[in-house]
Amino acid sequence: MSSSDAYVMLMSSLPKPGPLFVAKQTPLSRLKLNMRLRVLTPEEKEMLKLVEQALLWRQLPMEVSDRLVIDRGRTALSRIDNETLQSIVRDRLEIRTCVAALRRRSRGEGPPPAGNAWGFGRWVGHIARNWSDPAFALQGVFPWLHEADRLMARNDSIALERLLLSEAYKRLQRLEGEHAFDFEAVVIYVLKWSIVDRWARYNAEAAARRFEDLTETGLADYAALSFEGDVR
Amino acid sequence: MNEFVLALGWSGIYAPMAIGAIGSAIGCGIAGQAGIGAMLETESGYGRYIGISAFPSTFVIYGIVVMFTLDRTVTPENAGGLFGIGVFAAAAFLYCGIWQGRACASAINAAKEKPEIFGLSLAPAAIIEGFAVFAFVFALVISAGIPGAGQ
Repeated sequence: MSSSDAYVMLMSSLPKPGPLFVAKQTPLSRLKLNMRLRVLTPEEKEMLKLVEQALLWRQLPMEVSDRLVIDRGRTALSRIDNETLQSIVRDRLEIRTCVAALRRRSRGEGPPPAGNAWGFGRWVGHIARNWSDPAFALQGVFPWLHEADRLMARNDSIALERLLLSEAYKRLQRLEGEHAFDFEAVVIYVLKWSIVDRWARYNAEAAARRFEDLTETGLADYAALSFEGDVR
Repeated sequence: MNEFVLALGWSGIYAPMAIGAIGSAIGCGIAGQAGIGAMLETESGYGRYIGISAFPSTFVIYGIVVMFTLDRTVTPENAGGLFGIGVFAAAAFLYCGIWQGRACASAINAAKEKPEIFGLSLAPAAIIEGFAVFAFVFALVISAGIPGAGQ
């Protein structure tokens, strides 16, 4: 029996995470997902944690430096000995490098000087050399860059986020076709789950804000009523 | 030398049954793991998952039938034929068992998400079964030409 057969039960026990932007919540909670992932070996859990830490920035403080983020990515890549997982981390960080470059340019900044730690991967120098091109002459590699540039110029951050998440999701889906019952399939599932979770949380936050606004508007002057009915 | 040839003949008789059992066990194991995983996630249809998990058990049955068909007094004249048919039929049953197990695991995984494709998702497993049936039928047909049949 091949080693991949050990993942058959785990993968079969995981519900499909999508469809992206439609699902209001993830098909299973992180708590339940972690319970299912308990069948992984300690080494596999460590590897999954490395990939997640390199890609999930929600826990990072806002003031974190570019250098630290790049170093985290490099450390993760040096410790991951699996080609597919390396390409997943590299691809995602390269997408973020392109977006970082778009943001810098939209703020009116020029190309970062050589040696300045600001991006990750193969295209850092290429982007700096093609700074004036709308897609940094990378439309062949990242066909969505033109659209991202357009959305950034329109300041449409929601549509831009949708575009970036759907690109990341599509890349994972492409890899998913090559991995059915192996560790890579588990990591791909967890990353897809994270993307769905991220979008679902955005919606929850927006809904909470909207609810708060509606409540305030609806209650108007009575918004500050105490339990006894006395207006404070 | 004669003893070695006779041993090959005997192993050819028993191989389809033993290696077919190994193929069935691995196949049922793989599909069974998928079935258990799917049961963790779904609220109904457990019987279907167990049913699919048992699909690869047919290879041991083919192996038993081929074994009884090949069963005869082993002589230096028929040992080579018994070995060839038995061992190659056994190899076919082993591979069909393992791959049918994987096909069944995928079918369970797919049917868990989309119950309406349950029947269609079993087609690859049925095709693999067809290949094993070819090996089984031709093993029966060709074994009739080996000396010692019907003794």
